[in-house]
Amino acid sequence: MVGGRWSVVGAVPITVHRSPTTDHRPLTTDMILTGPEAWFFWLLALTALMGGLFTVLSRSAVHSAACLMITLIATAGLFLLLHAEFVMGVQVLVYVGGVVVLFLFVIMLVNVREEPLSQARLFSRQWGFAIACTVLLAFAFWLAIRLSDPYQNLRPREELATVSESVAYNPQGATPVSKNSENVGWALYTQAALPFEIASVLLLVAILGSVLLARTQRQEQLAEHEEERS
Amino acid sequence: MILDLIPAAEPSQGYLWSFFDVSTTTTKFLILSSLLFVIGVGGVLARRNIIVIFMSIELILNAVNINFIAFTRHWQTLGRINEHTGELFAIFVITVAAAEAAIGLGIVVSLYRNRETVAVDEIDLLKW
Repeated sequence: MVGGRWSVVGAVPITVHRSPTTDHRPLTTDMILTGPEAWFFWLLALTALMGGLFTVLSRSAVHSAACLMITLIATAGLFLLLHAEFVMGVQVLVYVGGVVVLFLFVIMLVNVREEPLSQARLFSRQWGFAIACTVLLAFAFWLAIRLSDPYQNLRPREELATVSESVAYNPQGATPVSKNSENVGWALYTQAALPFEIASVLLLVAILGSVLLARTQRQEQLAEHEEERS
Repeated sequence: MILDLIPAAEPSQGYLWSFFDVSTTTTKFLILSSLLFVIGVGGVLARRNIIVIFMSIELILNAVNINFIAFTRHWQTLGRINEHTGELFAIFVITVAAAEAAIGLGIVVSLYRNRETVAVDEIDLLKW
């Protein structure tokens, strides 16, 4: 069945392919995960929140890095839940495999002077002001979310239909490889070809910059001597 | 599935209760990402260790990525099956975050060589 309907966001006609076995359920106007998907959302969301909280609060920087890694892996699980398999892979490879390991390396390089951990101040002197700003930001977000979807509670329960029924229905049967990666790759090289090239230049500049920054005084002097000699 | 038998909360029970509803909507992804964003901002503003501040920035960027992916899925559910703009944005955010982490941590290392500290309130030559 192909149905047209007007969404709450604006004049967007909706065309949804539906499975013939569940055609009796009405169409939904929102992304709704039910059943096991919803339980996994709660599990991953709580893990991510706890990891983020302990990233900020833990005393040792190594513990912070470990908690950050937990948060990033939980977020990758959420991406999988949202059918964004390619971004999930990129998240695990780049963030967990690259950035967190880089953090651990820098912690190893920097924490040479072992200061007594229990005596060091964790927060800056302006922590009261910082917490006030944070609470203000949280209030602003709460207000924005509260105002953005006033019809959320008014929607009757009969309109619930799961995402897998509303979109992922494929009459030819499931594809062996994730369709998402193929689609994202296609969009990356057609829709976003110029930003892709700019990102590669950015990465080149970042490589050069980090090499330049990580040079020691002695290496710089050696390089200058080489220039003078030649 | 047994979990399918657990009923969703009644929508008439009010706003606060609907947050604990077992089903998950786009709004809940937005609430999660805003909470992560707020935690990250708190870390950036309040912590002393510059490495932990960088980690909080990564948390913020991650929260934004959750928003992008959730909205992509939202639009796909509304019928735009070939919508991938949010995923493209998320990929570029991850790229920029990786570059930023490399440069930032290089700065931290050279800063530690010069000043022997990673506490931001001891690095205040430019402040006054």
